[in-house]
Amino acid sequence: MTTVRAPGVWKRSANLRIGFLYLLPSIILFAVFLFYPMIRTIYLSFFLTDQNGNAAVSVGFENYSYLLTSPAFLNSMKATGLFVLYTVPVGIILALFFALLANEKLKGIGFFRTMYSSTMGISVAASSVIWLFLFHPSVGVFNRILLVLDFPQIQWLLDPEWALVSIAISTIWMNTGFSFLILLGGLQNIDEHLYESSRIDGAGYFYRLRRITIPMLSPTLFFIITISLINAFQTFGQIDILTKGGPSQSTNLIVYSIYREAFINYQFGTASAQAVILFIIILVVTLLQFKLVERKVHYQ
Amino acid sequence: MKLLLLFLTVLSLAVLAACTNSDSSTKEEGTKGEDAKGEATKTEDGKVSIEFWHAMSGTGQTSLDEIVANFNESQDEYEVKAEFQGSYEESLTKLRSVGGTKDAPAITQVFEIGTKYMIDSGYIEPIQKFIDKNNFNVEELEQNILNYYKVDDELYSMPFNSSTPVMIYNKDAFKEAGLDPEKAPETFAEVINSAEKLTTGDMYGFSMLTYGWFFEQLLATQGGEYVNENNGRTGDATEAAFNSDEGRLVFRTLDTMNKAKTFGNFGTNWDDIRAAFASEKVAMYLDSSAGVAGAIETAPFEVGVAYIPHADEVKRNGVVIGGASLWMSKGIAEEEQEAAWEFMQYLTTPEVQAKWHLDTGYFAINPKAYEEENVKEKWAEFPQYKVTVDQLQDTVPGYATQGALISVFPESRQQIVTALEEMYQGKDPAEALEQAAEGTNRAIEVANKTKK
Repeated sequence: MTTVRAPGVWKRSANLRIGFLYLLPSIILFAVFLFYPMIRTIYLSFFLTDQNGNAAVSVGFENYSYLLTSPAFLNSMKATGLFVLYTVPVGIILALFFALLANEKLKGIGFFRTMYSSTMGISVAASSVIWLFLFHPSVGVFNRILLVLDFPQIQWLLDPEWALVSIAISTIWMNTGFSFLILLGGLQNIDEHLYESSRIDGAGYFYRLRRITIPMLSPTLFFIITISLINAFQTFGQIDILTKGGPSQSTNLIVYSIYREAFINYQFGTASAQAVILFIIILVVTLLQFKLVERKVHYQ
Repeated sequence: MKLLLLFLTVLSLAVLAACTNSDSSTKEEGTKGEDAKGEATKTEDGKVSIEFWHAMSGTGQTSLDEIVANFNESQDEYEVKAEFQGSYEESLTKLRSVGGTKDAPAITQVFEIGTKYMIDSGYIEPIQKFIDKNNFNVEELEQNILNYYKVDDELYSMPFNSSTPVMIYNKDAFKEAGLDPEKAPETFAEVINSAEKLTTGDMYGFSMLTYGWFFEQLLATQGGEYVNENNGRTGDATEAAFNSDEGRLVFRTLDTMNKAKTFGNFGTNWDDIRAAFASEKVAMYLDSSAGVAGAIETAPFEVGVAYIPHADEVKRNGVVIGGASLWMSKGIAEEEQEAAWEFMQYLTTPEVQAKWHLDTGYFAINPKAYEEENVKEKWAEFPQYKVTVDQLQDTVPGYATQGALISVFPESRQQIVTALEEMYQGKDPAEALEQAAEGTNRAIEVANKTKK
C-alpha cells in the first residue's frame, strides 16, 4: 500500500512565487506611491483633523453622512456629472471627425495632423490663461465678435448658467489633441485590404465607415472613452485658473472641492472623504463600462 | 532566490516605514520647537543670513526688494533674503510643511485672517518677547493697526502691509448725473439713491467685489460683530454672529440695488472690477486703499475717494484693518531670530514706511512717516491718499472694528462669497446669509473640536 505523495505546497506554488518575484518591483512602487497614500486617505476620511492635518477626533462615517446631505457637495457632484456629459461625447466625436479628415491621403496632410494634435503640447495652465483672455467680459475676443454681430454680450465666466459651459468648451479644446492622436493611430492601423475589398464590392463611404472603420477602431475608441471619462472626473487646472469654483459654486467640480477643503480650509478629513467618494464613482463608472461597452468592442 | 525575495520584502517595508517616520518626526519637532534649534546660517563673510517669505507681487514686490537691499547695505551683521512664495494661501501652505523646524524661514508674511491660525500653530515666537527685551517703543506705531494684531494685550506679529476699504468714485460721472462730485454718498440709503442717478445705458451706479472682506467691513462700520465672544477677542468663538440685523441690512442694501439694476456684478477678481471702473462701466465701487494709486493712474477721468458707506440709523464706527503682518519662526537659531528682529525694527522706521506707503498705497504702520517731506508732497498733489489715512484714524476702537479672530476665516469668507453670489442670482438675502452662518458654524465647531 504505497501512496503517491502529492507535491508539497511549497513546490506547487513555485510558479506563483516566481511570478510574484517578477511583479515585485512594480508592487513596491505601487505600494509606496499608490497603496499607502490610498490607505492613508481612507483612514483620514474617518477623522476630523487638527490644524496640522493630523487625525484628531474619530467620527466614524460622519464625514460621509455630512457630505451626502450637504447641498454644496451634492451640487459639486451634479456639476461634475454635467461636466462629464458636456465634455466627453462632444470631445470624442470632434476628435474622431478630425482624425477621419486627417486620415485621408492628401497633399500636405502632415501639416494638418500636426495642427490638430498641437493642443496636446500646451499645458493646462498655459491654455487656461489664453482662454481667460478669450472669455474676458470687456476685452475678450468672443464678446467682441458678439458685439460686431450685434448679439447680446455673454458673461462667459461670471454667469452661473454659462460658466460650466465655458469651462467645458476650453476643456474640449485642450483634450481634443490627445484623443485625435490616439484615434488617428487607431485609424492608421486598420488594414488597407479591408477597404479595398469593400470598394470592389461597391460599398459607399458611410457604409464603410459604419461597417469597417468604427468596428475596427472600437478598441481604440473604448480606450479613449475610458481615459476621457476619468480625466473629465478629475479636472482641476482649468477650474483653478478660470473660475476658482465660482460663480455660485457652478463650476466647483469634485476635485476642486477636495483641493479647497484640504488646502484652503485645512479639513483633511472631509477632503479625504470626498476623495474616497470620487474614487468609488470612477471605479463604478469604469466597471460599468467594462461590463456594458466592452462587449461591443471588436478585438482582432 | 528565497534570500533575494526576503531582502526585497524587507527593503520595501523599510521604505514604507521611513515614509511614515519622517512624517511624524517633523510633527514632533513642530510641537517641541525649542529643542530643535540649530546653528545659524552664515554667509561667506560671516553675516547671519535669514530668509523672508512674502506674498507681494507687482509693485509691492519691487518696493519690498528695494527695502531689503537697503537694509542689507545699511549694516554688515545680517543679510535678509526676500523670497516670493506665491499668494498668501500658497505661502501659508508651504509654511505648514516646515513650520517649527530649523528649515522654516525666519520671517513669514501671513495675511490678517491667518492671525488666529498662526498663534495656535505653535510655529512662532511672539514678537512681544523681543519688544519687552529690547524696550522697543510700540506706542510709536499706528494704534488702530496694533489693535487688530494685539491678542490678550500681546503683540504676536509685526504689522507690515495694512490696508482698509474705501469707496472710489468717478467724479466726472457725478457731474454728469447732477451730483456734487466733492460729496460722495455717505450712508446706505444715499448710495442707493446716487446709484440710481448714476446708472446709464452702459454704466452701473455701484459695485462691490464679491469678497468676504467687504461684507466684514460694512458689518463692522455698523458696530456689528462677525462672531460671538466679542468677535472671538475675549474667548474662543463658538458661532457666527454676522447673521444679525446689521448683516441682513448689508445684504438687503446690495439686493435692493441689484434688483433695481443699479448694481454691477463684476465677479470675484480684483482686476476685473478695477478694469470695469477704469473703462467707465461702474461709477462707484469699493476697493482696498492699496488700490487707490492704481485707480488714479489708470482712470482717464477724475477719481474721488471716500469713506465706505455706513447705515443710516447708526453712527459710523469705521473700518477693520486688512493686509498682512510678519511672523517670527520658533525653532530657528537665536542669532537668526535676532536678525529677524533687527529687520522688523528697520521696517518700522518712518523713512522705510514713507517709501512703502508711497510705492504701494498701503498704510504706514508708523504715523511719523506721514510727516516725511515726500509723503506731504504726494498728499498735496493727490489728496485722495489722505482720505484712507483719515478714515483709519477716525475709526472708533471697539470689538467690532478690532476685527474677528477665528482660525477658519478663509472658509467662512468662502461661505459669504457663495451667499452673495446666490443672492445676486435671486435668492432671498436673509436666507442666503443664514446659510453662510450655518456653514461658518460647522467650520468653527469642527475647528474647536480638533483643537489641541
